[in-house]
Amino acid sequence: MDNIAGTKSSLMWATHLSVLFLVLLWLIPTIGLFVSSFRDRDQISESGWWEAPFAVELTARGRTAADAVQDGDVYVITGNIYDDPEARSYFPGGGGEIVAFGTSGRAPGEFPAGERVEIGDGETLVVNTDGTYEWRTPEDPGDRGQRVYFAAESPPNFTTENYEQVLTADNMDRAFINTLTVTIPATIIPILVAAFAAYALAWMDFPGRGVLIAVVVGLLVVPLQLALVPMLNLHNSIGIGQSFIGIWFAHTAFGMPLAVYLLRNYMAGLPRDIIESAKVDGATDFELFLRIVLPLSLPALAAFSIFQFLWTWNDLLVAKVFLPSDDASKVMTVKIADDLLGSRGGDWGILATAAFVSIAVPLVVFFSMQRFLVRGLLAGSVK
Amino acid sequence: MPVILQGLITILIGVGGCVGYFYLSNLILDRFIFPAKGENIGRNINRANAVRPWLFLFPAMFVLGLYLVYPVVGSFVRSLYGRNPNEFVGLGNYISLFGSSDFQTSFFNNFLWVIIVPAASTFIGLVVAQLTDNLSWGNLAKSLIFMPMAISFVGASLIWKFVYANDADIGLINAIRAMLGFENPIDVMQIPFWNNLFLMVILIWIQTGFAMVILSAALRGIPEETIEAAILDGANPWQLFFKIKVPQIMATIVVVWTTITILVLKVFDIVYTMTGGNFGTEILPSYMMDFMFRDDGRATAIAFVIMIVVLPVMIWNIREARKEMR
Amino acid sequence: MTTMTKFYAGAAILALSSGIAHAQDLVFEKGEGAFSWDSLEEFASNNDFSGESIDITGPWTGADAELVNSVIAYFEDATGASVNYSGSDSFEQDIVISTEANSAPNIAVFPQPGLLSDLASRGAVTPLEDETAEWIRENYAAGDSWVDLATFEGEGGEDRLFAFPYKIDVKSLVWYVPEQFEELGLEVPETYEELKELTQTIADEGETPWCIGLGSGAATGWPATDWVEDLMLRTVSPEQYDAWVSNELDFSSEEVVNAIGEYGWFLQDGYVSGGREAAATTDFRDSPSGLFQFPPECYMHKQATFIPTFFPEGTVVGEDVDFFYFPAPESGDLGQPVLGGGTMFAITEDSEATRGFIDFLQTPLAHEIWAAQGGLLTPHTGISQDVFPSDSQRALNDILLNATTFRFDASDLMPGEIGAGAFWTQMVEFTTGSQDAQATGEAIQSRWDALQN
Repeated sequence: MDNIAGTKSSLMWATHLSVLFLVLLWLIPTIGLFVSSFRDRDQISESGWWEAPFAVELTARGRTAADAVQDGDVYVITGNIYDDPEARSYFPGGGGEIVAFGTSGRAPGEFPAGERVEIGDGETLVVNTDGTYEWRTPEDPGDRGQRVYFAAESPPNFTTENYEQVLTADNMDRAFINTLTVTIPATIIPILVAAFAAYALAWMDFPGRGVLIAVVVGLLVVPLQLALVPMLNLHNSIGIGQSFIGIWFAHTAFGMPLAVYLLRNYMAGLPRDIIESAKVDGATDFELFLRIVLPLSLPALAAFSIFQFLWTWNDLLVAKVFLPSDDASKVMTVKIADDLLGSRGGDWGILATAAFVSIAVPLVVFFSMQRFLVRGLLAGSVK
Repeated sequence: MPVILQGLITILIGVGGCVGYFYLSNLILDRFIFPAKGENIGRNINRANAVRPWLFLFPAMFVLGLYLVYPVVGSFVRSLYGRNPNEFVGLGNYISLFGSSDFQTSFFNNFLWVIIVPAASTFIGLVVAQLTDNLSWGNLAKSLIFMPMAISFVGASLIWKFVYANDADIGLINAIRAMLGFENPIDVMQIPFWNNLFLMVILIWIQTGFAMVILSAALRGIPEETIEAAILDGANPWQLFFKIKVPQIMATIVVVWTTITILVLKVFDIVYTMTGGNFGTEILPSYMMDFMFRDDGRATAIAFVIMIVVLPVMIWNIREARKEMR
Repeated sequence: MTTMTKFYAGAAILALSSGIAHAQDLVFEKGEGAFSWDSLEEFASNNDFSGESIDITGPWTGADAELVNSVIAYFEDATGASVNYSGSDSFEQDIVISTEANSAPNIAVFPQPGLLSDLASRGAVTPLEDETAEWIRENYAAGDSWVDLATFEGEGGEDRLFAFPYKIDVKSLVWYVPEQFEELGLEVPETYEELKELTQTIADEGETPWCIGLGSGAATGWPATDWVEDLMLRTVSPEQYDAWVSNELDFSSEEVVNAIGEYGWFLQDGYVSGGREAAATTDFRDSPSGLFQFPPECYMHKQATFIPTFFPEGTVVGEDVDFFYFPAPESGDLGQPVLGGGTMFAITEDSEATRGFIDFLQTPLAHEIWAAQGGLLTPHTGISQDVFPSDSQRALNDILLNATTFRFDASDLMPGEIGAGAFWTQMVEFTTGSQDAQATGEAIQSRWDALQN
């Protein structure tokens, strides 16, 4: 008995560890995106996201002041390099300890900080770790200071600026509501329609059933690009035009094959005896469907509704074609793609943030739908 | 506020209309057209039952026919014409496609995608579903693995740029290489053949969540008695999983497999945004997009090749459906 | 569930605080500054479109959309019409769909003449009046080039002017950091030969001369086509360039292969930051950042006028970074050719107010408003030079005004399968070094041949 218990607990540990491993493997790329969404564009290209919490050594440049104090034959200029706006601009999180400095862009870290060095023409320069410097020159520097390059520790800097920019973009609130207006009916309608059709294909007897099933499977693979132009033409000619009604129809149709296919397969797997006995009891198909099949199919309905919701939520193409392109009816994906990314395609911080903003609602939906996927509702009845 | 209200009203009309159709049409059928009473009660019930499937099917078939079948037929006709929509070329587009080396490359790549992505996603999804089943934090683990499903393709390709980038300061792979002491960063998107696999990893990463959710529901649907009986018979966890559970949910596994296969045949975004089809990574859907809106004849011909690829899956599904009917 | 509630509550608050439409104000007070206000007054007195509205779609989004709206505001102010501009990142796909579906806007702003000519031949675009062509000839520098560019075969088969060019990009530019040039004692090259010498000098110093990046998602490869086009203009006559665009001169011909080979010269080991393979995938937006590193990863970057958008935040053109004209060969036979791109306003749904808008674009003011805010270059010879916000902007515009030859980006003029397809992808192959110039030319030519059957 001990032995069995031993293997059991070690097996349990192995399970914990391997799930943890898989989860981490799956999560790492997303964490990268998440961390990047809090960094600004310059930092993203400067260091990897995994280095974000640590100070990184950054090379920067600045210029000394030019107000000299005469000391015998030489002019002495002192000050702090971080007082120079250009030098400061490299360190939005505040400048750190200076490690090295130099006077040429090719060798920005030629000399260790704190060491006084000859920089030619009898001039000497020292930059200390705290940024203070002393520049001695035999000639009046005029109004232009000495160019100084330096390497310094840049403390980690996280910002919510990206989020502010994405969330406060003009009409983003409107776009959010528009997205919901598109997604909710475009999720519920196809499920309803498909559930009836799936039931008919699974449990009702009529000629041509096999062929219809095959057609549905075949339609799964139709690239929807083929349907865009002819359908928009149709919408225009029957007066729907580019509108919410039009996009509901489009999403309903494009999600239909998968919905019918998934639901039919699930329903066909329901135990035959339950259905037959209900029929024997005199239930009509409509009652049977509503009272027995629909509740039993909840996990499949929940699964499909999650997918359809995600698909419509993240959809860009269908929205662009079937909705007008004015601000009043833009959905979030279009808003992000057109107004934010179009002009800042290279701005990875904004891109990352946009991806996270659009992921928030689908995740909430998934978490709340998850309980429908669990065993309790199945009542152990499926084969 | 009017915006929200307007949204709510439109939502109600859309969903309400749909519920109304099913309820009322059945009501009318049962009460008025073929009422289950009177002298013809038997005949009426039979007739109502013959009509009802079509009542159930009608909305689905209507939108499918209009939005999918009609464009497919129209597209097939279009694929018989050349670049100029008035010039009939017969099968010319298909012949020139099969002769082009770009097409052959994308066809071969697509073949790899269709084999590898569904297999890997389904397998990993199944393993995760089983492992997390009895775990206290199983739901959390599942949610985290499901998360990629919720990310748009633009977001996904961005995420993977942070992994694959040809720069040890941006790309994780090159950072790890640099840590191990390799000198120069490599561009994983340019390694012939393997770059295809790296692209597939992205879709596997996304689709595993799908497989996991469906298979997890199926695993939980297996009757307790079956499992208890097997344990009493002394089955070890491996046997329990492979000999008892997997055969029980085989039907679901096949559905998941089919769904992912079909998805693979349609997804072009990943290749499109990651490599633009360069470095020998073109697949059929992205190859089709190269011609879309430029040479519609050829684009639609490619769409039909994609549809023909799925023919075996269709045939198999008909046979399964026949089996069930018996 | 609480998260959900909070989310909705947040949305409701957001909804309450919105609802204020952004009425576009006039960015510059009328009558002030160096603008040609009289041109606006004259236009206003001849045109009144009160109550009419115009829809315009174009490729500009974000900051550029605001700029175009600031120009449109003066049209609205002058005529009383209301104009609705909407920009889209996938404009080209959208306009094809909307013309096919008969839901086209009044005016479409085309970034690619190729697509425009396609739509014109299908009758989806209304030709402009002949006076407009005459006007462009007289008032645009290198006016004939511009009229030719916007003239296509219409539905009936006759050549007509179909669009009005407005807002031009110059592509023949090399960006550099003056301070780094100073440090190495480098001079801005005056001739193409000097540019090559300069490249060699920098390499001899142990530094890397060039940053090149071709990455652009689905459009990966286009920066390389710009290189080849500029080099074509520097190795063959403009007439041969035109012949190349129309494929009378084969891609596999000696001339084109030579130009591809010239581009290859710049890709040699030690000339390109990261090496040629990295150049093929480095994103074109990230590529110029090498100029601004210490030590510099490279000293020069060839790219069009738009690139400063992607420089590090706070970079000032003219101080931190500057540009020079991608120089022409010493011999001088080829003059000062300029490669560029530009957007074209075409009428996709005719109306009187729409015609009025095209007329509005002929006023100097329509160019000055945008130019004064930066980003717009124009060959319009009548505009006030004082409106440019900086010397460097004026210098850029001078390149355009001084051009002896202006040629449009060839890849934009070629059929889509070539100019936005095979040309891109084959140049990527060439850049990585996996095939030579001859093979590259032949591969593109064979795709072109396949089109013609």
